[in-house]
Amino acid sequence: MPAYRNIRLCGKDCMCLYVCPTGATNTENSIIDASKCIPGCMVCVTACPSGAISMIPDQYPPQQPKSTGVIAAQRTLGQSKVRQEKIAEAVAKATNSAVTNQFARAVAKSNLRMAEDILRESGYLLPQSGEVRELLTSLREKAGPGFPKDAAELLLTRLQG
Amino acid sequence: MKPMRRFKCSVCGYIYDESAGVPGQGITPGTTWEDLPEDFVCPLCMAPKGVFKLLEEAPHPDAGAGSAIIEDTHKAADGLDDGIKELSAGEISAICSSLAKGCEKQRLTEEMAAFNELADYFKTQVSDQGTSWDEVANELQEDMAARFERANAVARADEDRGALRSLVWSEKVSMMAKSLLERFAREGDAMLLNTKIFVCDICGLIMVGDVPPEICPVCKVPRFNIVEIERR
Ligand code: SF4
Ligand code: SF4
Ligand SMILES: [Zn+2]
Ligand SMILES: [Zn+2]
Repeated sequence: MPAYRNIRLCGKDCMCLYVCPTGATNTENSIIDASKCIPGCMVCVTACPSGAISMIPDQYPPQQPKSTGVIAAQRTLGQSKVRQEKIAEAVAKATNSAVTNQFARAVAKSNLRMAEDILRESGYLLPQSGEVRELLTSLREKAGPGFPKDAAELLLTRLQG
Repeated sequence: MKPMRRFKCSVCGYIYDESAGVPGQGITPGTTWEDLPEDFVCPLCMAPKGVFKLLEEAPHPDAGAGSAIIEDTHKAADGLDDGIKELSAGEISAICSSLAKGCEKQRLTEEMAAFNELADYFKTQVSDQGTSWDEVANELQEDMAARFERANAVARADEDRGALRSLVWSEKVSMMAKSLLERFAREGDAMLLNTKIFVCDICGLIMVGDVPPEICPVCKVPRFNIVEIERR
């Protein structure tokens, strides 16, 4: 469970440098050296005046269960949003107008963000969850030509609940 | 004199009060809704006039709301006899790109790359869905007319707060998209010719204007998450 510093929040050059017993926080690129960080220490998290350091957990609880009704309704909406994304992309490709293209790309992006959020809430919130493993396993089984097998293997090996 | 009315922006909740106007925008107190220029936009989120709704005074407290929800849930359940549909390639792609972001937040860089690779692959597997704005508008119309209501009813009945949160955001984002699509259908490229367009990278809200707001009016993330879509 290493400490992680959010560079956007960090005010630089203060407490974490003084309190860290191993010097893990004192790096030139502002990234805390996970290999030097002592599991469970958390001294820098408490000392940081900017709330810029947190501990990255290595274990997560099971996801909140989703009912069949919620899954079905979220999927119906999510499917609609990915369809709109796809059509907007086709509009962007087909047009000669730079402005129409610009608007169509905005609409496509907007729909992708919505689809991601809506579908995440159909039971795919946590990468380490059983639901995600199940999905990856079934994708690997049905793999067609060009399917990135190595990526799926890596995820199934690394992401365990 | 007619009583002054109030209109609420359904994207961000800003209230236009006829008796107050918007002095900062040169709209004097007493300007009626009808006298507001057609290109009036919400001072907070830049949503067009079309997304504003008249605020009725004294809403009736929960008149029959409870039974309506139960009825909705039954209606929703009816459509579900066929069970859960299989995921389409587009849905798998969106799930993988959202999981990639989840891995990024956990600082799992290689896992993030792997999910992105899967997302890209499934994106190439999506079949053609259409090529016209009308087809986008039709889907969106169906979302607003039925799909959100149904999803909300089921999520409410289950007290699924995560799902409800996603629906609140995306319904507002959809409302903004719908009104911009309608405006674009009327005005065409002129809508964007002399201004910019931004999309919130977290909730997907589209904003038309010269500068993006400090925080996203829908999901409240700070400005650095709001990206400009450049003309090219
Ligand atoms: S204590 Fe916090 S604010 Fe100070 S340098 Fe460390 S991370 Fe940055
Ligand atoms: S948790 Fe402890 S060891 Fe790790 S960086 Fe912070 S102070 Fe150093
Ligand atoms: Zn608004
Ligand atoms: Zn947002």
